Amino acid sequence: MSRKDGGMNSEKPVVVIEHLTKRYGNFTALDDLTLTMSAGQILGLIGPNGAGKTTAIKILVGLARPTSGTARIGDADCVSDARRIKHLVGYMPDRFGSYDNMRVREYLDFFGAAFGIPRRKRIARIDEVMETTGTTYMRDRFVETLSHGMQQRVGVARTLLHDPQVLILDEPANGLDPQARIEMRDLLIRLAKLGKTLMVTSHILSELSRICDHVAILTHGKLRAFGTVEEIGRMVSQQRTIEVQLTSVEQIAAASEVIRRMIETDAELIASPEESALRFRTALPEAQLGDLLTELVRSGIRVTQFRELQTDLEEAFLSFARPTMPNKPPQPAGAVAAVGGIAHG
Amino acid sequence: MANPLVQRELITALRQKRMLLLQCGLSAAFALLVIIRWPTDPRMALSGTRSQEVFRLFGYGLLSVLLLMLPVFPATSIVRERNSGTLALLLNTPLGSWRIFWGKLLGVLGLAGLMLVLSLPAASACYALGGISLRDDLLAVYLLLALVVLQLSTLGLLVSTYATTTDAAVRWTYGLVLMSSVLTLGPHQFFQGTETYLADVSDWLRCVSPFASLMSLTGTGDVGAVGLVSTSDVPGRFVLISLVLTAIYSAWTISRLNHTIFDQAREAGVISNDQSLGTQLLRRLVFLVDPQRRSRAIGPFVNPVMVKEFRCRRFGRLHWLLRLIAICAVLSLGLTYVAVTGTVDWGVDTIGGIMVLMQVALLVLITPSLASGLISTERESGGWPLLQMTSMSVLSILWGKLLSVLLTLLLVLCATLPGYLVMVYIEPGLTLQVQRVVICLLATAGFAMLLSAAIGSLFHRTAPATAASYAALLAVCGAPLLVWLGRDAPFGHDAVENALLINPIAAALSVIRLSGFRDYQLIPGNWWFLGISSAVSLLVLVVQTRRISRPQ
Repeated sequence: MSRKDGGMNSEKPVVVIEHLTKRYGNFTALDDLTLTMSAGQILGLIGPNGAGKTTAIKILVGLARPTSGTARIGDADCVSDARRIKHLVGYMPDRFGSYDNMRVREYLDFFGAAFGIPRRKRIARIDEVMETTGTTYMRDRFVETLSHGMQQRVGVARTLLHDPQVLILDEPANGLDPQARIEMRDLLIRLAKLGKTLMVTSHILSELSRICDHVAILTHGKLRAFGTVEEIGRMVSQQRTIEVQLTSVEQIAAASEVIRRMIETDAELIASPEESALRFRTALPEAQLGDLLTELVRSGIRVTQFRELQTDLEEAFLSFARPTMPNKPPQPAGAVAAVGGIAHG
Repeated sequence: MANPLVQRELITALRQKRMLLLQCGLSAAFALLVIIRWPTDPRMALSGTRSQEVFRLFGYGLLSVLLLMLPVFPATSIVRERNSGTLALLLNTPLGSWRIFWGKLLGVLGLAGLMLVLSLPAASACYALGGISLRDDLLAVYLLLALVVLQLSTLGLLVSTYATTTDAAVRWTYGLVLMSSVLTLGPHQFFQGTETYLADVSDWLRCVSPFASLMSLTGTGDVGAVGLVSTSDVPGRFVLISLVLTAIYSAWTISRLNHTIFDQAREAGVISNDQSLGTQLLRRLVFLVDPQRRSRAIGPFVNPVMVKEFRCRRFGRLHWLLRLIAICAVLSLGLTYVAVTGTVDWGVDTIGGIMVLMQVALLVLITPSLASGLISTERESGGWPLLQMTSMSVLSILWGKLLSVLLTLLLVLCATLPGYLVMVYIEPGLTLQVQRVVICLLATAGFAMLLSAAIGSLFHRTAPATAASYAALLAVCGAPLLVWLGRDAPFGHDAVENALLINPIAAALSVIRLSGFRDYQLIPGNWWFLGISSAVSLLVLVVQTRRISRPQ
């Protein structure tokens, strides 16, 4: 199937979701979700359990109807063009969907036939997807006897059979060991390089942050944040976390004094004596941070490193997922206790 | 120390809504059994015949309810825990295999006890009617039922330790229950009164069935008695056999409840095509259709769902089907040979009766196992959304699934037909009868398939779907036979005929003019019933499949 078959155009967004809402009685599973995806993009859909990720996915693949709003993949509407959506999307649910007494090759052959791929083409295609997903060696194994990691790879192979432009994978790394996770990560990146658009849900945020171009954070059915991992990090805190590495622990007190004077007197400073480091949060622009470094050096404090710490996806997720502290700035790693505004790690 | 399993097994089961429905349904059914035969005449017979008739019907009904409803609980008990991973946790506790077994058994016995307690008001009503003894009738029947419960429970638990899926456990358990309670009665029908050792063997064999004991206790006499007085102590033998079997099943189950359940290697996936040419040739010669060969890709114009159903069914592959057909054909021809050589003793109608009985029993036994899980297995395994996501329409998926069952049933039926052909060749006068029997069998196959599939589609999980399908089909096939057992007294000819109208077994037996059934005119009434029921079942199946396929 060529990209044209699905009416795809790399200039246009591939997935367009607008004001998508799904209600079950009084319960709102998805609330006014709007986002778009471009070709070749990997979108990580994250959120706590019950956030509405699977509902959004089900609507996209035509297994659920939205209460309001629209979702389109290519030129096909997810509600009215269900048949075209099936060709455009490769869907891997969070459950593998195993059959007894079927070998991997037979399993793929069945789904290939169910997608209407002619026999000759199907045989070649099965070989291709097995090669791509690294499942060739297990072609004669019974599906139900495969390990979870193997089953996930076969699941990805199944979604690729009809050469869909968009892959929607629900928790593909769930339950995988580190090695299998790395393999799955590499596989997804490889698929994106092949031009596939991927929407992936996962709870393993460190994995997502490594593969996703964009991340959407959902909680209670609402989209809380959408952007690149860096943008999300910025959104979480308007302040940046700065780490000052010193040559000795004795200099921590003097450095704290300078920092307080330059930023604000009640600023929370986190000291890590073991590392001879100080961390603090600030909204100062680059120029003033430069002044601060100059002042530290001028005060005789020997600074070996002065850098901004990245806010990782996990912190961002927790920040949005915690309803009581929606925008509390994340704490940098290493801080274990705070006393009098200076934390000793 | 209290067994924590008992509480969990029993309380968890009792908390379910369906259990409440079951209790209400059972109470109503038992009450109905008594009401049907409750005397409306203001005069009472001093002999107590009337109350004995009521009690007899009540006893058969109660036993049937136990046989139909109880096996599903022990059969799924261990295999479900194993598949959900909790059995491994249980075996990892200090409970030990004996206490795990005991806890599970007590849980099932508790449920069975509840069923029996629910029947007590109806039993009291029978007793109040007079004419039955508390000790010799009421207590004896309940003791018999208690033994049946014990035997069924231990059998179910044993099967559950071997099964890998819940529906397989249910299938095997119901199959064994049907075999031990009904099929064991068969040989006695034909060998009673003969001088061979087979007469003794069949006399003991029938004592395995609780029906034989119940009939003996309630004074109905032997099943299929041909005027011969039986001197066997059937209830005594049943008690002995039941206790021995219970002990064997229990010990066997306990010996299975350890690491060996999990200590199994994964299938290596060896394929003949990858082996040497010699090995490949040898395997082709030995197996005819090599089970380990690499299967071909699904061909054009073939419904892929049908192929998938055959492939993922345990005995659905070609080599198994060929074996099944061979067995059926050999059995059919063997019976015909017996008919040819022994017509003086038995008569063609008797042999025809055996063939019909075996064919219908085969259909009733295998059809729910094939058809009940068509939809529910997909829903349980998570395969339904995957099928929905393919290009196939719902009707096409359904057609592929039904076709896989239909073809299997037709193959089995065709394999059993050579016997009839020989019979018609020997006695051309039987042509019309054989034609009608074949129509009966086809109608039965279609009805059993559509009923099982329709019932199965209403469930999310395969085990209850299989159990419900078996229960419905056995009720249609078994309940009218209970009425037939009470022919002449308490039921009149018309009542029995009306009851048998819904029974495909009775219809086929009446067509073949088997003794006991030849007096009833069941055709074409039975065909109408089967046709209308099949159409309704098909409608339910299509509507339900469409319903579950709609986006949420």
